[in-house]
Amino acid sequence: MRKVLTICLLLSGVLSYPVNAAGPLADPLRIGWASSDITPPKPVLLQGQFHARLSEGVKDPITATALAMESVKNGRTTRLILISADLISIADGMRGDADLRQEVRKRITAAVPELEPTDITLNGTHTHTAPVVSLADTKDIYGVSLDLISGGKEVMRPAEYFELAARRIADAAVNAWKSRKAGGISYGLSKAVIGHNRLQVDQAGKSLMYGNTGRPEFSHIEGYEDHNLNLLYTWDKSGKLTGVVINAAVPSQVSEHLYEISADFWTETRALLRQELGKDLFVLPQVSAAGDQSPHIMWGDKAEERMQKLMDMGEGGTGRNSMGRRRQIARHITDGVKAILPYMKKNIEWDPVVAQKTEVVPLSRRLLGQSDLETADKETAEWQPKYENLLADIKANPGKTKENRWYRDITIAHTRFRRGKSVHERYELEKTNPKLPVEIKVIRIGDMAIACNPFELYLDYGVRMKVKSPAVQTFIVQLSGGGTYLPTQRSINGGAYGAVPASTLFGPEGGNELVDKTVEMLKSLW
Amino acid sequence: MKSEHFFVASRRFFSLTLLVIYNAAAVAGELKIGAATVDITPAPPVSVDGQMALRVATKVETPVEANIIVLESDGMGGKKTTSVWITCDVVTIPTELRDMIRAAVADRLPGFNTRNMLINATHTHTGGVVRANWYHEPDSILKVVDYQRFIAGRVAGGVAEAWEKRQAGSVSWGLGYAKVAYNRRARYADGSARMYGRTDVDEFRKIEGYEDQSINTLFFWSNSGSLMAACINVVSPAQIVESRSAINADYWHPLRQMLRDQNGRNLAVLGWIGAAGDQTPRPMYEHLAEARMVALRNGQKDLSTLGKDFRTDAYLKEMARRIAGCVNDICEVVRNDRHTDVQLVHQVEDWELPMRLVTEEEYAESKKARDEDSAEPKRALEMKRRIAWQQEVIDRYENQKKTGRPVYPVEIHVVRLGDIAIASNPFELFTDYGVQMKARSKALQTFVVQLAGPGTYLPTKEAEAGGHYSAIVQSVRVGPEGGQILVDKTVKAVNRLWP
Repeated sequence: MRKVLTICLLLSGVLSYPVNAAGPLADPLRIGWASSDITPPKPVLLQGQFHARLSEGVKDPITATALAMESVKNGRTTRLILISADLISIADGMRGDADLRQEVRKRITAAVPELEPTDITLNGTHTHTAPVVSLADTKDIYGVSLDLISGGKEVMRPAEYFELAARRIADAAVNAWKSRKAGGISYGLSKAVIGHNRLQVDQAGKSLMYGNTGRPEFSHIEGYEDHNLNLLYTWDKSGKLTGVVINAAVPSQVSEHLYEISADFWTETRALLRQELGKDLFVLPQVSAAGDQSPHIMWGDKAEERMQKLMDMGEGGTGRNSMGRRRQIARHITDGVKAILPYMKKNIEWDPVVAQKTEVVPLSRRLLGQSDLETADKETAEWQPKYENLLADIKANPGKTKENRWYRDITIAHTRFRRGKSVHERYELEKTNPKLPVEIKVIRIGDMAIACNPFELYLDYGVRMKVKSPAVQTFIVQLSGGGTYLPTQRSINGGAYGAVPASTLFGPEGGNELVDKTVEMLKSLW
Repeated sequence: MKSEHFFVASRRFFSLTLLVIYNAAAVAGELKIGAATVDITPAPPVSVDGQMALRVATKVETPVEANIIVLESDGMGGKKTTSVWITCDVVTIPTELRDMIRAAVADRLPGFNTRNMLINATHTHTGGVVRANWYHEPDSILKVVDYQRFIAGRVAGGVAEAWEKRQAGSVSWGLGYAKVAYNRRARYADGSARMYGRTDVDEFRKIEGYEDQSINTLFFWSNSGSLMAACINVVSPAQIVESRSAINADYWHPLRQMLRDQNGRNLAVLGWIGAAGDQTPRPMYEHLAEARMVALRNGQKDLSTLGKDFRTDAYLKEMARRIAGCVNDICEVVRNDRHTDVQLVHQVEDWELPMRLVTEEEYAESKKARDEDSAEPKRALEMKRRIAWQQEVIDRYENQKKTGRPVYPVEIHVVRLGDIAIASNPFELFTDYGVQMKARSKALQTFVVQLAGPGTYLPTKEAEAGGHYSAIVQSVRVGPEGGQILVDKTVKAVNRLWP
């Protein structure tokens, strides 16, 4: 592959940086890493549940991590920046007016003019304990003003956090770009059983997200799981590991119920990896197609909890939603990263092909039928009065707002009624706009590929992309945009949350188009 | 071919006579443990079991073994409970082989409770043929009945040895994960399924069902703290090199070697296959990425010839490495959580499950296929297994016409040992059923052991809708209706042990 190169093996067995008789070649690949703290300095609304949650502290900080790459090969320069943020998603304007992706790109390209906006790719880890990123008024989101929720406490508004997140994420990217140095990459496939399909089908064929698998009516888990750990390692010129991209089909939502800021299991994972592989190691998490996956154990939870206790992971609790589960996942990921490290170290590529392509593609919306509309209207009819009654009650009894987390029920009612209403609005919109554009991004690094989409993408679609990809190994990155579930037909048949019209803008038709387009774009890079 | 053991005529399902034999009372007492390993490698040339066509092995690539654990517990009033577990490197445990083993043990150990013997197969497709009249038997090869007798004799010797050597010891149990199971049924845009179907085609839509990567493990320790035996419950059958014409214990061989290297050559390793009728140890997609990692791990420099064939020695070692790594991790965690006084209950139950009915259309298709294969004598000899496969459907149809609702007898073992349960079944049971059993069990951990009997696939409704081998009438004696009854009764039997 590389011409006029002599491969020197160092005593350690590490492949050395490429040289020729005249000395080191110009650096064909330059790599930079940086991260920034994106923890808000004040209480914020947390995103991820039907009800509002005003943060009551910081359990652990949330971060943005950026990997910059610049490749010069055959006279062509390719630049790219991958950014992972401990956020539920990357707002892209699809489901609201906030476009964090555009704002971050704008700031980065202003600071680094040689970069194009599409050189920059972002993804969220889907932590459910990170701030709401929005430009909308809180009353429009949750039906109650932030002032009322906070009781007059000093808080950071979603729009203020939008600005902070954009600035700090851009800082990480710019610093990564500025810090780039000659380096190499290696990629590999490892295993970690950490993601579980969270949809349960009963004997009548009806699906439920979560629930109790111990009931007699439980029939089977609805769909597939993917326990592959796709790993991209970066190395400096001396063969020292500098960072790792970890791609797994599991969202980080062990602690999704908390009223505290947290990066979820990535906090423990980063700490453990740094403890075992070097304190300066950068860790960039990506979530593969995992719309129907979760880190929660769906069956056998008693045995899992016992193992957590026996492994001394019990501080702060064991079982579902626990720190024990977070530590257990961190252990599994770390073991997976370390399991193939010796072979990765021996197979560093210093001059891989690097290429990328970005397209905005109109995908078919999930067309709603009359029965969908009726269900949605029913939801609105049920929940709107509940919300209005609760609102009236609060106005009549303002003392109730002194109670701890008083706003939970009213914000659930508002969300439920808004879900029904939004389906009705879409029903009308689809008559004139049956397609919705989304950004799809593909990257090639050597013989591996990264394919990004904005969805909470059901796992089957990811598998289909992988099997048709021309790459030896393909990393699927979901939530590279604002989200919305993209369910499969089997899941729509089951009818669980995640597959109902109120949770989805797209359905199997759009999913098929996404798969076909992604594969087509991947093939164009080979 | 008529297979008399499953045609239980005349009795209607809804008037099932349940024969439940409680062989032991619930007791907690000092545990005595005996373990043994015996070689059951047949001398070549020998036919190997598991494919449609006859294969004759002329070489032994690895030994095949039977691994044995004998437990004895002191019960209330001095009554002893025994429980014997035997794993054989064979494709299934035909009823006649089970009975031969029991008879041979009874000969060696008069008065011994041979009913409480749970015997399972690892499902290696490169073990000697154990199913009589399954394939054409050329005169030059070891006869099946002789091999059955050989196994029975060796296993009986092993049980006697383990029994005589039994000593006070302890047990610990744990749970880990290793990626060994791959659901092998691909589904396509038209709703059809295919076992080992291609996934890299436009029509591919999904992998049909679930995978269970749990590795439930039991460890047995001597009083001096050395590891005597391990039961490893993997939800994937041992059939990586299934197409070879050779004797090979598949991934259990390198796995046992790895574990014995660490724990001593006398370590007994019982390979319990979980509900894995729709599983395989070989990947269904990302072949290049998987093959590349195996190649890199083995120091292969030339990666230009990576292929999709995982029926290799390197991949056997890869699977063994994954399981051994997991077992060692679990062992470290539970090493200090050993139990000497545990409740031991072993129940054996005989149930009758409703058979999957044959439709008139299926009957006609099987007749046509049988007649085509039988038309020419030479071809008929070559196709003996396939002809028998179709003949069974024909016989079933004719039988069901006479009897109304035929039932299929099964022997089920349910064991409680401390906080864990073991539940056996004779099928190649699709994973969803095993998950149901585990999810609904009151035990801390539930070890589901399939192929503790003669087999036949037991598919889900979803799989039946997709069709193809393993979910069609020829592959199946009991269908989803019986599958659900099996689950419900197994859960009930297990949960009775946790009052």
